[in-house]
Amino acid sequence: MPGFGQLALAIGQAAALLLLAPLASGFCRVLRAKIHTRTGPGFLQDYRDILKLLKRQEVVPKGAGIIFRAMPFILMATLLLIAMALPVLTLASPLDAIGNVFTFICLLGLVRFFFSLSGIDSGNTFAGIGASREATMGALMEPVILLALFVAALLAGSTSLGQISTSFRSLSGGSIAAEIAVLFAVAFAVFVEMGKVPYDMAEAEQELQDGPLTEYSGPGLALLKWCVGLRQVVMATILIGVFLPYGAAASASFETLLWAALAFVAKLVCVFLIVGVIENSVARNRFFLTSRSTWAGFGIATLALVFYLVGL
Amino acid sequence: MTGLQLVNGLASLLIVTSLLVIEARGTTLSAIYYALQSFVLVLVFLALAATVDAPQLFIWAGIALVTKVVLVPLIMYRTLGGISDPALTPRRLGLAWTIILAAAVVAVCFGVVSTIHLPGSSALKPALAVSLAHFFLGLACIVMQRNLLKQVFGYCLMENGSHLTLALMANRAPELVEIGVVTDAIFAVVIMAIIGTMIRSRLQTLDVRQLTSLRG
Repeated sequence: MPGFGQLALAIGQAAALLLLAPLASGFCRVLRAKIHTRTGPGFLQDYRDILKLLKRQEVVPKGAGIIFRAMPFILMATLLLIAMALPVLTLASPLDAIGNVFTFICLLGLVRFFFSLSGIDSGNTFAGIGASREATMGALMEPVILLALFVAALLAGSTSLGQISTSFRSLSGGSIAAEIAVLFAVAFAVFVEMGKVPYDMAEAEQELQDGPLTEYSGPGLALLKWCVGLRQVVMATILIGVFLPYGAAASASFETLLWAALAFVAKLVCVFLIVGVIENSVARNRFFLTSRSTWAGFGIATLALVFYLVGL
Repeated sequence: MTGLQLVNGLASLLIVTSLLVIEARGTTLSAIYYALQSFVLVLVFLALAATVDAPQLFIWAGIALVTKVVLVPLIMYRTLGGISDPALTPRRLGLAWTIILAAAVVAVCFGVVSTIHLPGSSALKPALAVSLAHFFLGLACIVMQRNLLKQVFGYCLMENGSHLTLALMANRAPELVEIGVVTDAIFAVVIMAIIGTMIRSRLQTLDVRQLTSLRG
């Protein structure tokens, strides 16, 4: 049973990530505008969008069922649960009981499952195609994430995310090459999971009119937009919290947490900057060719496993 | 991090760079990656020299820096850089399968190496497995690639692999051995580069499957 301090930290970090999410997506929009040499909407535009949508009336398609209505809430709750369990500011996970590799993968699968199911449930053809693409991307990316996290767990000797981050902080896995290869595999998986341009298959704005999001409106759409932003922040947090835990606090005192928060924000900005530059300099992949690059990611994870086994 | 861990870690970079050499599009890019790989090899020599106290390896590193990092890539770039064959499909296997194949080769080689009793430090067995795997990767490059210039690079990869094996197993060998090995390799590369250019100019192809008839 976690103590009051750990529980407070878990809730605090989830709330902070939730509040940061629209700022992060706003940052991406500003970056995109700057690269296009436009003035752009400003950092806070996504907060304004969400507030505006929350005030609007919600319209639900005639044939849509309970999945369609429940999906935004399930998505938000699951993502917040992941955000609570991740090691964000501290090396250890605040909720160690759910902060392990297996729950993380299952919760991520749950998000994907309901996201694609709601697309089918809405009855819209575009949303249905988006849903099938989302499920395909899941099938393609899960081997990469599974294998990379499996190797990370082998290196740390534990499936706890906190233990993995401690092991990556001290490079105590005894196999530097494997750690670096895992880092690259996870970074690739995180980039794909963020749903940014070469891999934004499910929502593909110009092809599928936002995919599973097509039929949502009003508060539901507001929640979903928030969730999409939160998912990106959570995925980036996995990379910088677990695999690049430099600057994270070893003990939970106020001062160390403050420094850790500064380091975390700096790392988050770096990740979104790199992702933003990549997404604005490439075109969307053709869907049927996506498997080529995702299998290359799997290859990197395999290489990590072999490097670990060989002891490089 | 100990010196031996550094040697093993750098050795893994050799696998990554050889994948880059195999998968690169165009001879110029391959030559650049080959120079990068040779630079990593020089770093391995230096780390090994400091770790196992073998001063001869410093001289090896110097020779390798001049020949492998500068001379061989420069020869490749000058003679083969402009040659290309647009009709040739670049490879048989996709990037993903090449990486997975490389991983499998490293694993098998480690399995082989771990059964051998070595007189030196057993902590260097991973690096030895990499050197052996490197040799086979070069061989795989020769077998799988249709582009004959890529096959020249395959030979260079094999040669780098055998070089690493030599440095790991016989690191106190006199410098003269190293000079002999290196000059051999340079002449081989020069001859292959000349043959490659001649084939391209006579037969207008770089595809090894087209080389079925002998013409003077």
